[in-house]
Amino acid sequence: MIYNKRLILAHFWLAFALFGVAILLGEWQMFIRSPLHGWLRNADLYYRSVTAHGTVMGYVFPTLVAMGFGYFISEAALGQPLVGRRWAWAGYYMIIIGSVAAVVPVAMGLDSVLYTFYPPMIGNAFYYIGVVLVVVGSWVWVALMGINLYVWKRAHPGAPVPLAMFANVAGAYLWGWTAVGAALELLFQILPVALGFATTINAGLSRVLFSWTLHAIVYFWLMPAYIAFYTIVPRAIGGRLYSDSMARISFALFLVFAMPIGIHHLFADPEVGAGFKVVHSIFTAMVAVPTLLTVFTICASVEIAARLRGGKGLFGWVKALPWANPQMLALALSFVMLGFGGAGGLINMSYQLDSTIHNTQWVTGHFHLIFGGAIVIMYFALAYDLWPHLTGRALLNLRLVHWQLWLWFIGMIVLTFPWHYAGLLGMPRRMAFYDYTAPGMFAEGVSVVMSTIGGAILVVSAALFLTVLIRNHSAARVDPEPFTFSRAVHEPVSLPWALNGLGLWLGLMIALTITNYGYPIVQLMMTPEGRVPPVFVGGKP
Amino acid sequence: MSGPLLRNRWFVGSVGGTFLLLVFSVFVGFVWLPSAQDDSLFKGLLNSICSAAGVPRSWLGEASAPVTSPVKVSEVVMTPTTLDEPSSGGGVGRGATLALRCTMCHGLRGVSTSQTPTLAGQYASSLYKELRDFQSGARASAVMAPLVAELHDQDLRDLSAYYASLPRQQSPATQDLQSAPDIVATGAPMRNIPPCGSCHGRLTAKLGVPWLDPQPRDYLKTQLEAFAHGTRRNDTSAQMRNIARNMTTEEIDASVDYYSGTR
Amino acid sequence: MARAVPADPHDGEAVAKRIENRWALTMVGLVALLVAMVIFTGLHWATMPPSRVETINPSTLHVSGEFVESNLGSAVETDGSVTVRIVGQQYSFTPQCIVVPSRTPVTFRVTSADVIHGMLITGTNINSMVSPGYISTFKTRFEKPGDHLMPCHEFCGTGHEGMWANVKVVEPDAFARLVGPTRRASCDL
Repeated sequence: MIYNKRLILAHFWLAFALFGVAILLGEWQMFIRSPLHGWLRNADLYYRSVTAHGTVMGYVFPTLVAMGFGYFISEAALGQPLVGRRWAWAGYYMIIIGSVAAVVPVAMGLDSVLYTFYPPMIGNAFYYIGVVLVVVGSWVWVALMGINLYVWKRAHPGAPVPLAMFANVAGAYLWGWTAVGAALELLFQILPVALGFATTINAGLSRVLFSWTLHAIVYFWLMPAYIAFYTIVPRAIGGRLYSDSMARISFALFLVFAMPIGIHHLFADPEVGAGFKVVHSIFTAMVAVPTLLTVFTICASVEIAARLRGGKGLFGWVKALPWANPQMLALALSFVMLGFGGAGGLINMSYQLDSTIHNTQWVTGHFHLIFGGAIVIMYFALAYDLWPHLTGRALLNLRLVHWQLWLWFIGMIVLTFPWHYAGLLGMPRRMAFYDYTAPGMFAEGVSVVMSTIGGAILVVSAALFLTVLIRNHSAARVDPEPFTFSRAVHEPVSLPWALNGLGLWLGLMIALTITNYGYPIVQLMMTPEGRVPPVFVGGKP
Repeated sequence: MSGPLLRNRWFVGSVGGTFLLLVFSVFVGFVWLPSAQDDSLFKGLLNSICSAAGVPRSWLGEASAPVTSPVKVSEVVMTPTTLDEPSSGGGVGRGATLALRCTMCHGLRGVSTSQTPTLAGQYASSLYKELRDFQSGARASAVMAPLVAELHDQDLRDLSAYYASLPRQQSPATQDLQSAPDIVATGAPMRNIPPCGSCHGRLTAKLGVPWLDPQPRDYLKTQLEAFAHGTRRNDTSAQMRNIARNMTTEEIDASVDYYSGTR
Repeated sequence: MARAVPADPHDGEAVAKRIENRWALTMVGLVALLVAMVIFTGLHWATMPPSRVETINPSTLHVSGEFVESNLGSAVETDGSVTVRIVGQQYSFTPQCIVVPSRTPVTFRVTSADVIHGMLITGTNINSMVSPGYISTFKTRFEKPGDHLMPCHEFCGTGHEGMWANVKVVEPDAFARLVGPTRRASCDL
């Protein structure tokens, strides 16, 4: 039973509407810097666009999806109305206000600092305040998820926490903790300078704090997709979840290992010691484990569905899968992209290989493939699954849904494969234009054109997605069966305490943050030589 | 929770495993890998751990002493707070009095009618930096050098504040980047020429860098050519020479035409 | 791989768990293998993540110390190695054209006068951030003569797209001819 449909729909719609706008900016950027367009005569427009695209796609869109889906899970899995409904709305409005406060100065050209901030460049304070509001709004959600689970546990002592809620709260806590890094950077480094209270800034410390957020944020983006893998797809394709406890272990491992690895973003930075880079590199390797476990469990769950449908043989069962089901299709396409993206990630993680592609177009290609591809396609899938339950209307046009998912997959491959290649050629990131006539840069031009075509396919796919959702609101009313999550083959009757709560894993997450980040942060704080004058952007001389 | 923590297999397994992994990776990062490095600061256990942890140290080793410049270079240190220091009874009013000596060439209210630069509304940071460079000789000028020789630092600050406070006249031609010559609007990336506006206003402004529109054509051309030939070298770390030396004669003409509004 | 839902749930659960554990161990082994490869290459080629932490005041680079303009570029040391000093600033590297000899140990010392920059040299695995307040020191060796591009690879403000430098690797004897009496060289015009 879903009690607060309006709240959940509001989150999803705001997320998808912003996504629809930001994807246009992304494609414009791709086009404007490709050989198909002459050099932009006001380069700053490009950087404004990158700032807005990154802020929306990186901070606002996935956060709203996770929040909307989180409220949904809380009600659907726990079977109780959301505790703290007013607070939830307050958080939602905070995100709206924050987004507006952030995007307006960006559009005015006062904050072309990109969504990764890059101090000592300092822009207009409203942008940073807006981002802080978005984060604080999402922290309301983090708290509510914890509270709702607590209320439920009090009412159901000893009962196994539903897997969906276990994973959802793990994602919430991961975000709550990982956002602290960027929040510290904004509140104690950037904002004092932007508001005129401080005259120097420690750029190295700021980068380390940002890296605290920058990698684990990816796993926060990924949580809704993984929750869909485990708790929606098996049910939707008529199968069972292979293993409930392995699923919990995977989410717990994300909580532990997503956090203390962010310095792998700083492999080429001069302010962090080599030893900590190695430690973070090794821990980064560990974060591949939960994904590898997931791949096994989900493939096994899918095989169960196929065999229940009469699939036979070592691999012959694949033919028996319900390929017409959007969840099945989305899962398969997501796994393919996850495979390629994950392989790229292993390259980034190994610092020797990283030095070939660090900060090149390879990296942009990588995170578009993983996030925009493997994760966002599951956002689509879960929206398709949830929508009838939220609107009480039928989701028609399965053909359109198929087209949409396939186009997203094809578009993402066409976008990101040449993008990786351009990076291997040494093409730097985030430039408003390139001289493709220069010696050795022709091949980069060819890949950018291909990526532009891929981006156009993605825009079409996004338009189809929004069309399907909009048309649902005027479709025939239906009375969908009560929403259920996947059932495990062996439903847990009682769980060990470690898998029925997050305490142990949260403790490890915080402990590892201290061991892996404590010294670098304290050391940089105590290095006054690291404080440098700000460089104001946006016209302040 | 079942039983004491230390006998619980979940607790022992997860905490113990993580701890072992941490110890192992610390050993690899702080001891094992540094042992393969030949820097002297990685030799010995304590050295190796400190270096790998990121304690700031001096890594240069044995190197030849820095070569100093045979000619005078700018020694002005510009930060956003350089001009913030409280002016002792000075400021715009005092600057206006001091500026009487400047009116002959730079106009009554800082608007030049000859080939000297217009100062009215110029960024204070740029005015101050150039005055200091004239004083030190980093920017050579037979006219300016004697005029600023006797001035105190506070005088230069007040003069800068005064001229920065005067209204700036902008020529409408430079408002439109679409009609600007290519070299101004886009530069030439492979020759390391960024768009002019990325430092000189319009797109964004860089500390210590002047706006250019409008300035007299001859003045702009002389200065740009002086940068190109390396005869003017008070630009910090060659930031303007790097650009000017890669510009063609036609590009120099096109940009000074644009910024002087004489197209 | 997994079987269809078995008849006896308890038996099935044990089987499922065994398969699962086997997979988990295999995957941990795979990850361990990757880490072992990283460590092996780290020892064998003496590669470490490039960081030798050292601080410097970015505002006074041009006034004194090793990053004054006249000391930038390639410096020939007494042991025959070359130290290359570079300052990154909005929006150029100084020197703009870097010349180094092939088959010679080269130490780079790079810092920024204002914001975060980055540098990579195309066709090589030289890649470093250039941060204000810190000196990036890294060692390398160019085997073959040739021309490379050296773009700034981190967003450093509007104008970032114009921040490209060049690296020329020349034969050691050609390099020796370029070195002046100050034992400094660059290929700036």
